[in-house]
Amino acid sequence: MAQIEVRDLQITYDTPKTGERFTAVEGVTLSVEAGEFVTIVGASGCGKSTLLLAVAGLVPVSGGTIAIDGRTVTAPGPDRAVVFQEASLLPWRSVLGNVKFGLEMQRWTRDDRTERAMRFIRMVGLANFADYHPHQLSGGMRQRVNIARALAVDPKVLLMDEPFGALDAQTREVMGDELLTIWEREKKTALFVTHDIDEAIFLADRVVVMGRNPGHIKEIMRVDIPRPRHEDVLDSDLFNGYRKRLRAHLAEDMASMHLVEGAQA
Amino acid sequence: MTATAGPRPAPPPRARWPRPSRSATISIASVAVFFLLWQIAPELGLVNGRFTSQPTLVLKAALEVAVADDFLRHARVSLTAFAVGYGLAMLVSIPLGIVLGTSRIARHMLEPPLMALYIAPTLILLPVMIVWLGIGIASKIAVAFLGAVFPIIVNTMAGMREADHKLVRMARSFGASRFDVFTRILVPGALPSIVVGLRLAIGRAVLGVIVGELYVSQAGLGFQLTTYGAAMRIDRLLVYAIAVSIFGYTMTALVRAIEARLQRWRPE
Ligand SMILES: Nc1ncnc2c1ncn2[C@@H]1O[C@H](COP(=O)(O)OP(=O)(O)O)[C@@H](O)[C@H]1O
Ligand SMILES: [Mg+2]
Repeated sequence: MAQIEVRDLQITYDTPKTGERFTAVEGVTLSVEAGEFVTIVGASGCGKSTLLLAVAGLVPVSGGTIAIDGRTVTAPGPDRAVVFQEASLLPWRSVLGNVKFGLEMQRWTRDDRTERAMRFIRMVGLANFADYHPHQLSGGMRQRVNIARALAVDPKVLLMDEPFGALDAQTREVMGDELLTIWEREKKTALFVTHDIDEAIFLADRVVVMGRNPGHIKEIMRVDIPRPRHEDVLDSDLFNGYRKRLRAHLAEDMASMHLVEGAQA
Repeated sequence: MTATAGPRPAPPPRARWPRPSRSATISIASVAVFFLLWQIAPELGLVNGRFTSQPTLVLKAALEVAVADDFLRHARVSLTAFAVGYGLAMLVSIPLGIVLGTSRIARHMLEPPLMALYIAPTLILLPVMIVWLGIGIASKIAVAFLGAVFPIIVNTMAGMREADHKLVRMARSFGASRFDVFTRILVPGALPSIVVGLRLAIGRAVLGVIVGELYVSQAGLGFQLTTYGAAMRIDRLLVYAIAVSIFGYTMTALVRAIEARLQRWRPE
């Protein structure tokens, strides 16, 4: 059995204005093996975050099932940790305090907390910044703290919702590189949402391509680039092939978007 | 009208220490000019010194008051009323504001009347307090309490309402209970607003005590103010007025210092 099993998932949201329920994700089926790195790409609004948050147990499931190691997901649990895109750090806590937060919530003992938090702060290269507050850090550093906080609770599954989405291209590449290094060492299962095609390919064992109206899976593409990967693969023919394939999907989505908009006009 | 419409308190002003700068120099200069004019205007016959007094006379009065006017006794009377009224207001309004701020229904029901009471001068309730509580310290305390309680409630509620939903979601993702979210996210997030409320409440509580004493007291700084007002002792009256201002200013500066500490983590 795979570690993450999503079966025929449907997620709907209340839309108070019309009173109807809006279907954000429909008929999504996906299995992720333990230790696998799966990325999710798709145009904005196609339900990537919704799918990820549902796996996290933060969004209720309206149809189908999600299971982690065979146990149905109904709420967040210590087997999963989320890295959010934006500043989800507590501004009044230091880096150390922020990384300790998850450990506090999961009732780790006081001594363990500091020691573990420091270990992961060191791992993401922020040992000298443990006493800093979030507003004193750059965007990239803040996301390192987010990643350290998620890893510190020792989850089996790492869920990341565009963690580098707000970073500039260069920082983003560096962070992707470092994430891979950490992931290879920590052996976590990773589900990673992005709208950046290169990032999706570079990180992934498999790329899930989503489409919209309602959010569904269009294709699941295996990436056969040996690991450890380095930035030079970005220029390889193999990588270019994957890139073309994903671009075609997204172009299709953009076209259909214009059609819909045209019809409404 | 949507549910969120309605009166909102202005965003809490950010605490900042005045830096010594050009504007500081200008302020000092203007104060100096003011004192100078105040001193010489009666002597030049521009104003009647009986009504305006003079800085030197006020200084002399201050020395008199300090050595032989029961100043400390009066100050203690006022201070007691202030401390009790303000302290009670804190005890009541912080928990109340926190609870009301978390409940959307309570908020929509209670925000309009609370805002009205926040804006209205609660001093107008003094006659009512006298009828209920009689002439004495209780009425003074009640007026100070009423002055202080609404700014704290309203600002505490605002702080709780402005809770960052992304942080709440983050906390939940780590398995935070409702209690955890409350104590680790909502209350710390509201703390700067609570302190703003505490700061705004100081002036109102001071005003409550002093005005209360103008009417219902046989002692206290406010009582001395009326006494010297009636006796046309402008110099002494000003000494007491200045003493009250210094007290209010010092308390406010103290809370501002706490505010500045709390807001260190808040970028501009
Ligand atoms: N809390 C919500 N309430 C109502 N609709 C939502 C909510 N969150 C997302 N949606 C809608 O669901 C769809 C998918 O959103 P999302 O999962 O955020 O997409 P993506 O992450 O791919 O950009 C969008 O149309 C969005 O407007
Ligand atoms: Mg998203």
